[in-house]
Amino acid sequence: MTWLFVRLKLSLLRGGLRGDAGRQVGFAFSVAAAFLAAVAGFGLLSLIRLAPYGVAVDLVSAAFAMFAAGWIVVPLMAFGLDETLDPARLALFPLTTRQLATGMLAASAAGPWPLASLAALCGGVVALAHGVGGVLLGVPAVILQFAFCLTASRLVTTALSGALRSRRGRDLLAVAAIFGVLLVQVPNLLLNRGLSGDPTRILAAAGEVLRWTPPGLAAHAIADGGLIGVAELIVVAMSVVVVAWLWIAALRYALVRPDSSNRGGASVRRSPTGRFLPGGLLGAVVAKELKYARREPRARVNWISAVFVSAVFMFSLRGPAGAAGTWAAVGPVCLAAVVIGLQAANSFGIDGRSLWMNAVAFSTPRDLRTDLAGRHLAMAVVAVPLLALASLAAALAAGNAAWALVAAPTAWGVLGVAVGIGSITSVTVPYTYPERLNAFAGAAPGQGGQAFAASFVTMLVTGVLVLPIVLPVLLGSGWWAVLAVPYGLAAAWAGRRVAAKIGSARFPELLAAVSRPT
Amino acid sequence: MADAVRTHGLFKRFGPQVAVGGVDLVVPKGSFAGLVGPNGAGKTTTLSMVTGLLRPDGGRIEIDGRDVWADPVAVKANIGVLPEGLRLFERLSGRELLMYGGQLRGIPLDEVVRRADELLRVMDLVEAQDKLVVDYSTGMRKKIGLAAALLHNPRVLFLDEPFEGVDPVSANTLTEVLRRYTASGSTVVFSSHVMDLVERLCDWVSVMNGGLVVAQGPIDEVRRGRSLNEAFLDLVGVRGNGEDGLSWLGAPA
Repeated sequence: MTWLFVRLKLSLLRGGLRGDAGRQVGFAFSVAAAFLAAVAGFGLLSLIRLAPYGVAVDLVSAAFAMFAAGWIVVPLMAFGLDETLDPARLALFPLTTRQLATGMLAASAAGPWPLASLAALCGGVVALAHGVGGVLLGVPAVILQFAFCLTASRLVTTALSGALRSRRGRDLLAVAAIFGVLLVQVPNLLLNRGLSGDPTRILAAAGEVLRWTPPGLAAHAIADGGLIGVAELIVVAMSVVVVAWLWIAALRYALVRPDSSNRGGASVRRSPTGRFLPGGLLGAVVAKELKYARREPRARVNWISAVFVSAVFMFSLRGPAGAAGTWAAVGPVCLAAVVIGLQAANSFGIDGRSLWMNAVAFSTPRDLRTDLAGRHLAMAVVAVPLLALASLAAALAAGNAAWALVAAPTAWGVLGVAVGIGSITSVTVPYTYPERLNAFAGAAPGQGGQAFAASFVTMLVTGVLVLPIVLPVLLGSGWWAVLAVPYGLAAAWAGRRVAAKIGSARFPELLAAVSRPT
Repeated sequence: MADAVRTHGLFKRFGPQVAVGGVDLVVPKGSFAGLVGPNGAGKTTTLSMVTGLLRPDGGRIEIDGRDVWADPVAVKANIGVLPEGLRLFERLSGRELLMYGGQLRGIPLDEVVRRADELLRVMDLVEAQDKLVVDYSTGMRKKIGLAAALLHNPRVLFLDEPFEGVDPVSANTLTEVLRRYTASGSTVVFSSHVMDLVERLCDWVSVMNGGLVVAQGPIDEVRRGRSLNEAFLDLVGVRGNGEDGLSWLGAPA
């Protein structure tokens, strides 16, 4: 029975690849990446052996704990990518809960990424094992740690699967997940700013805390290699059993509980902002885009991450106080403008399958041009004040508020260039945003290449095209910034014109590219 | 007088698979036409190509005598579409969806408001008009989709499975609206699996099977005295009559 589940998982993997070269390349890439990650993970963990003994134990404990955390968090964000994950699909088969549990566990261990993490975990043995006892205990320790990761991840996904199936739950988690990722960056920022204490002290404190968690115990057992290690492994094994038992209970509960997803839903306010918008197609598109920026979780995630990445630039590019010139204010704000503008590199992605409404109404390049203009205008409504604010902040941080007067127009110009280029990539390499919770995967399965190409080309071409306006400003000719806004507007206009010509001729193909099943 | 819809040798393949292999679809003006066929017969592919959403690999499509792919400006203003799969702008409310659709078509705002109010009332969606489409039930989605397709008063309406998963009350509303619409001389083409419904509503039927039109004409000619269901099963060739095999089914365990 267990073997059947593994085969089911493998045939799902194979079925997902059939007859689509793009997906096959994507899968090959994924396997290669998993292999590299396995080798790198194994290598890095093994290298810990060179560290002093105490530090090494703490480091491996931390690494094991991070694996467990990763196993819990990643499937949550990728919920729906793996058909074997959702127990509800198997509810009708006459399986005992135990069969279901072992089967799903085995199925989740099959695949390139689980195997890669198992391989990486083995590095812990190399890092910590001293003598025969260490190796002998190391193998079961790694396997138990792996089992712990799997069961813990299953427990959390199963317990939350009811919530994840409802629209509101997914919306909430998609936005909440990004804050999780952002939080991870906080220590990084603090380190950058030199506020933290001694890293070894932090590590020791972390080791202290992790010491009695299952990952910490597993790491310790390998290091110990003796009777205490055996005792520790028994504790780890028991915790795996407890987690598995909890998981089985959650599974049983999830299988008999009614699916409470998607009922109700509150009304939205009729927005008064419509009055200020121009009528007709342009106004309709602007109004829709602004609503989507607020209501669509993927759009919200895009905006939040753009703002956050900009903030990171702001902090990390700050030179030592006093030594900065205009560039210290202009540089980060321009980067922020590029990051915000990148959202326009796949303008039609968020519309996705609903884009047909535009397709049946548009018949000339002019319609498409107006549509793009509406999208750009909506983006400008949010981005222009945002960049002005960022300029002020950066200028104050750099030591002279007047520099904001240079930074803001330059950034606006850069934004114009970015959206202009973005409108061309939007029609030439469009791709589907996944509809599920997975807010961080860039594209539908098999379209990762397009997604990468779209943002990379946009970034590169924008980087080159903004040189005429940014370079003189960076070199000190602040007055040059007055040319930035007209330059940006012209670039956006030209980009829209070219994009409309290309896009109008291949609108059915564009529609197909953004409405791929995810 | 030109037919409302006429295709010549319409052809589309996806990879090695021929989805539509030379379809000659005819729908006379003012008719209430049903497009029926088993799953995979090519109904959705045909409707997508006819409405300009999918590029055909070969063949010609004329709506009211104008070529869809050569003269999209004239054609697109005159057709309304409800595609399969209920793909709508999920994060707009029903009302906002209609406003967006209307303005997309260049209808003046106050006219859009007037028509949207009426459509919402007729479709019995007044209470739900400010809820997001993502929270709508299947029947509500079909109704708001039909409202969006009717808003610009098209001459020909294409509906892909408009009654699939719709409760009887909503289905009744949909059929009433469509009846009134065709009574005024406009044309409806809809695909369906439900033979009873097609028999009750349509005066013209096209039967597709395996990517081809195997029969079409006024419904009484296609039926020839049989029920439409019998006629349909004869036309597509019933695959096995359920008598062979399965001897164990229903036998005491």
